[in-house]
Amino acid sequence: MVSKTFFIVAIVALVAVNQAAQRGGGGNGNTQAPTSPVTGSSVSGKALYYSYSCYACHGYNGETGRAFVGNWSSNLASEDSFIRFLRGRANVAPLTPSTSMPNFAENTMSDKQAKDIYAYIRTFKAAQPEVKNIPLLNQIVEDASKPSENKVRGATRPVK
Amino acid sequence: MAKKNDSLNRRGFLKGAAAGAAAGAVSVVTPATVTPATPAETQVGGNAAPVVPAPTQQQLARETGAVRPPANVRAVERPGSDLMVQVLKDMGLEYVAANPGSSFEGLQESFINYGNPPNKTPEFITALHEESAVTMAHGYGKAEGKPMIALLHGTIGVQHAAMSIYQAYHDRSPVLMIAGRDEGFIAAHTAHDMAAMVRSYTKWDAQPKTLAESLTALQRAYNEAVTPPTGPTLVVLDTELQKEEARELKVPAYRPPQITGIDSTRAREIAKGLLDAQNPRIAVGRLRTPQGVKSAVELAELVGASTSTTATNGPMSFPQRHPLCGPGASTSYDYTLGLETPGAQVSLIGPGLATLLSRDSANIGFGGITPAAGGRGGRGGAPAANANPPIQVDAETSLPAIIDEVKRQITADKRRGIEERKAKHAEANQKAFVEALTQAVQARRNGWDSSPVATARIYAELWPLIKNEDWCLASPSGFSGGHNVQLWEHNKPYSCLGGQGAGGMGYGAPASVGAALAAKSRNRMVINVQTDGDLNYAPGVLWTAVHHKLPMLTVMHNNRAWHQELMFVEYMCGVRGRGTDRGHIGTSLREPFIDYSKMAAGYGMASEGPITDPTKLAAALKRGVDSVKRGEPYLIDVITQPR
Repeated sequence: MVSKTFFIVAIVALVAVNQAAQRGGGGNGNTQAPTSPVTGSSVSGKALYYSYSCYACHGYNGETGRAFVGNWSSNLASEDSFIRFLRGRANVAPLTPSTSMPNFAENTMSDKQAKDIYAYIRTFKAAQPEVKNIPLLNQIVEDASKPSENKVRGATRPVK
Repeated sequence: MAKKNDSLNRRGFLKGAAAGAAAGAVSVVTPATVTPATPAETQVGGNAAPVVPAPTQQQLARETGAVRPPANVRAVERPGSDLMVQVLKDMGLEYVAANPGSSFEGLQESFINYGNPPNKTPEFITALHEESAVTMAHGYGKAEGKPMIALLHGTIGVQHAAMSIYQAYHDRSPVLMIAGRDEGFIAAHTAHDMAAMVRSYTKWDAQPKTLAESLTALQRAYNEAVTPPTGPTLVVLDTELQKEEARELKVPAYRPPQITGIDSTRAREIAKGLLDAQNPRIAVGRLRTPQGVKSAVELAELVGASTSTTATNGPMSFPQRHPLCGPGASTSYDYTLGLETPGAQVSLIGPGLATLLSRDSANIGFGGITPAAGGRGGRGGAPAANANPPIQVDAETSLPAIIDEVKRQITADKRRGIEERKAKHAEANQKAFVEALTQAVQARRNGWDSSPVATARIYAELWPLIKNEDWCLASPSGFSGGHNVQLWEHNKPYSCLGGQGAGGMGYGAPASVGAALAAKSRNRMVINVQTDGDLNYAPGVLWTAVHHKLPMLTVMHNNRAWHQELMFVEYMCGVRGRGTDRGHIGTSLREPFIDYSKMAAGYGMASEGPITDPTKLAAALKRGVDSVKRGEPYLIDVITQPR
């Protein structure tokens, strides 16, 4: 069973992840490209991204859920900032992580593994088109822009 | 009523005789199998559980169909169950859902054969699980604001249904349940007080002793279900009462419940407040029935009030795209009326679940349960700190008196001002909606071309296909992103039926089937965006949808996991410093993946998928909508992004 309470907790947690990420240890602002060389293996990182269930919160390509592609957090600015963010307080106080995202101590994810995951994440490209290039979304907005009087026609009709 | 005998009643004797005759042997039904055991007989040691006698061979033969049923050894001209069904017909109940049980075989026979035409109002709907039957009624109740019936077989049926009853109770959905009770049959299937096991989350129950009492109990159960706080009610009907000869007993006339509304003084004050205000506001929560929604619209239009709504998250609220729905031309409201929601000046809020704690203890027992104090996500939320205490009265019942007072007090001058205000509100609300939507689509394009498919795309692609139809989103949308809230326009009392009630799984499909029962005769279609974990609780409802040709489109949000729990467990693994690489154990649905298209096909439902390519989604959805419009339910398995 999944309770609504848990669901709300999860939402709050995810929001907190983002907020914490924004104020996290990277310190380089909302950078879009890595600020230092990417040295890990994206091939290995892909397997780790799935096996460590990173996709569960961030989508299969970082575009959905707690998305980061196209809005790269400062925590993702470099390998060092990524590892620093993952570790948080995990090595000293794992039960009180620095963010609502689970922190990863060195004994559960090595620096090399973290760098591999980072390399894989950094292969993600913002693939979604601009809204202007998605006719369906434009049509939805256009339809909604029509006078609203007719939209509730029948809304209050007697229901059998 | 047939008199029960403590040692061996007629029912038990006849069953035994029938079994014996069919078996070609002399039937001996021992008193031990039909007599309630004494405490001394049922206790082993001080704290041991009562021992229930094991079914006899004759009883098991009866249960497994190896014998001729006893019905043909009894002849009645006017069975009591015919009168029970007539009572239900008189109250306009449309459907009764059940999987069969011998404790209500008399009643079932009347449902399908009594009346002209037979098996209409109510129509018998074949369910494959009691939990499904009650959740169907739960969904139907939210869509229509009135009950349908779920039949339950003895102790085992009531317990199968228990989770669904619990959800309907928390969701305040009116549901009328009938449980058959066969005291002379298998002891494990009966109880002295059948409703006891679900009483703490059932609004009202009764176990009548006579046929006449049974008829009035059914009427009261209906009235209790639709009276605030609305909820599930249960009548336990002995099989003897169902089968006894009614003779000249008359069906009592039905009298609808008298629901308390606001008094005339309060109505006058509220009408004056709304008319004197320069910028009145009406905050609309969840009303009881479509009539309440109609009244709320009438009042808002009369006084030119801007309104808020809960229609994007649940049933029976103000139409989302009504010109008065939105923030209005100004958010400096000088008089706010809350209808089933807290408001700044006056709130009309009907009695909640907590009032059930003080209900008739002689009839109800130990009282109902309410959400625990301190829990989050409870219904309605807490009133604002500066809000006046609500008036404890049903808002829907109160609206006609307020409307009458407004009509009496309104002047030509006020009418002119109101018309001007309404025009300004309409313009401002339209602008606000389009601005919000324009922002929303920016976020909804995330992952637009992703494979697996982004959940936002499912809702976006569905909208143009259903926007000109009469539709009902019956499934909860929270797990699939809630994208309907911003992309769709919820203008009917049943546009969005909202969440599960108590957050329990196994809700989406059966609730959608119930909503589709309501939709079938109303030229409406039901959309069920179905999470995969939820469907696996009781997928047999897909067969029910096919069997009864229900207008239901199911689109799988198939992320191959109980995804919320996957994230929770992953989090727990992480904070305990043990790594997240085993977080999928017990939370994911892989090895093998479940093929929902084949599952649907197995139940006879037209289906397709799995779809992973987002460019193939629109055509599939169109095929699904077209199928449903032809009266054939359809399922599309879409492999989705996790969230």
